Amino acid sequence: MISQKKTPYLVIAAIFALGVLMPFVIKKYQLNMLTEIIVFALYAVSYNLLLGYAGLLSFGHAMFFGMGAFTVAVSLIHIPGLSLWSAVLMALMMTTAVGFITGGFLLRHKGAYFALLTLAFNSLFYAVATKWHKITGGDDGLSITRPDLHLGFTTIKMAALTNFYYVTLVVIGTAIVFCWYFTKTAMGQTVLLMRENEERMKFLGYNTNISRLILFTFTGALAGLAGAFYTLHFQFVSQSAISVDMTTAVLLMTFVGGTGTFWGPILGTFVYIILQNYLSDITDRWPLFMGLIFIVMVLVIPGGLSQIILSIRSLFSGKRNTGKPLAAEESSS
Amino acid sequence: MSEVPVFFLHGLAYAGLLFLVSAGLTLVFGMMNVLNFAHAAMYMLGAYFSFTLLRATGQFWLCLLVCPLLLFIIGALVERFLLRRVHAYGHLHELLLTFGLAYIITELVKLIWGNFPLAVNIGGFLGQTVAFFGVIYPIYRIFIFVCAIIVGLTMAAILYKTRLGIILRAAVNDSEMVNALGFNVPLVFTGVFAFGAALSGLAGVIAGPLLTTYPGMAHEILIDAFVVIVVGGFGSLGGAVVASLLIGELQSFGVLLFPKLSLALVYMLMAAVLIIKPSGLFGEKQ
Repeated sequence: MISQKKTPYLVIAAIFALGVLMPFVIKKYQLNMLTEIIVFALYAVSYNLLLGYAGLLSFGHAMFFGMGAFTVAVSLIHIPGLSLWSAVLMALMMTTAVGFITGGFLLRHKGAYFALLTLAFNSLFYAVATKWHKITGGDDGLSITRPDLHLGFTTIKMAALTNFYYVTLVVIGTAIVFCWYFTKTAMGQTVLLMRENEERMKFLGYNTNISRLILFTFTGALAGLAGAFYTLHFQFVSQSAISVDMTTAVLLMTFVGGTGTFWGPILGTFVYIILQNYLSDITDRWPLFMGLIFIVMVLVIPGGLSQIILSIRSLFSGKRNTGKPLAAEESSS
Repeated sequence: MSEVPVFFLHGLAYAGLLFLVSAGLTLVFGMMNVLNFAHAAMYMLGAYFSFTLLRATGQFWLCLLVCPLLLFIIGALVERFLLRRVHAYGHLHELLLTFGLAYIITELVKLIWGNFPLAVNIGGFLGQTVAFFGVIYPIYRIFIFVCAIIVGLTMAAILYKTRLGIILRAAVNDSEMVNALGFNVPLVFTGVFAFGAALSGLAGVIAGPLLTTYPGMAHEILIDAFVVIVVGGFGSLGGAVVASLLIGELQSFGVLLFPKLSLALVYMLMAAVLIIKPSGLFGEKQ
């Protein structure tokens, strides 16, 4: 028997192996979609760290995503010969700084107040992106070409989708695994406990405000990384990357997958992107379906798809699993 | 500077509209603790209903009466059959529900009326201009401001001078106790939500002739209304009055004085208030 502790690592290895094989199996437009899914999966996972783990409903996650996306585009355009890594690193630094500063204001409030404030801040960034035509391109957006990847001994041509897919798989995949690792650390567990009983955590001597700010900054940087790869993938960015619709999208991905598990949002991203691609071919009323899915999910399956899967699994294994938001792990160590 | 009085009046008119939108929003939020994302979508619905009714009958006064009533019914249905069901799951689900609803309403509006601006013309007395102190000004904009004052006073009177108002305020503090005393609290909440929807409908009817009626109008006013609530203080009616006036005038003079910054000015005000007094100008400390 495989021990419980090793199972997640095996799953991760299997998914990576599957990812490596994918370009040989699927068609080019499907590979395109898969790259998009991987990028958005990180976005959704980072969002769920806020929503599912910390219980913070943010309507402003797109400001980090968009900030990352624009930083990459702007720096690639204005700094000739900039390497791919430097551009991504700049996006990370930028979103970390923005997350730290805005977090200071936003996290003074909780619940609906927080939701409303994040929306207002997102609108501010959107207004800037739309109006600051000189830098952001306004309504026209910015076009870039992916710089090639220099590894010292060899150069990988990034123009080929397959190459870019592998870079995305490795970088974003590692980031997602890191998120998973984060939830297992003391810091990750602190966030969970804070959601459950903040007063008690304060009594125990934890500075909950600092922990929340760290989490907010961390998730912001992750969304920024996703945004950076979004620009690199489409080789184009417009103000829609920083719009409220981008937050709505991630909210729906996370919610469809279910906020109760770590992998729920990843599943939700798969469903969302594939559904969006096919539905927008058939009808241009995609937002209408999105709204309907939203309401049905909220009314009928508030735990999302992962709740359904968990309850099916518990039918077979006989273990009870409520599909409730992640509970803190009981650990004796 | 002969523009100053005109811009001041423009600001008052927009402040009136902002108050009408945010009053309903802040009422529902203050009473039920539900942040209604669909509020602006309902406001848009009011504007479109009014457009259709006005074209059919030509009676603007009739629109002012019928459209809020329609929205009242819609609001009551939404509260009774959707919101109440998810109430047990907490605020997050209520928020998400209204969010989904906003999407559906916006798309239905596009489906029924089309994705383009519609012009609303009101003839008669309201469509004329009036001259005073050497300024020629459209009556309609003054009418908006008067409407806002009437609605504001009526709400204040109901909340603070009537028995219903006492029950409402008591239900916010301790709904179980009020329920135990024999008042139908769920019905009260349905009424509050429906009244908020009716207010948004009224604002929509009034907004039609002032702004253009188009599918983006909901999002446009939503952010401004949210800023009003943040600046004025969550759930505070008095705060909504002051913040509406502030933001209305800021928008109006912002265009005159700093045309490039006008979009950002409102957010700067919000950020300033948040730094100095995070609970808003009239908000209670959380």
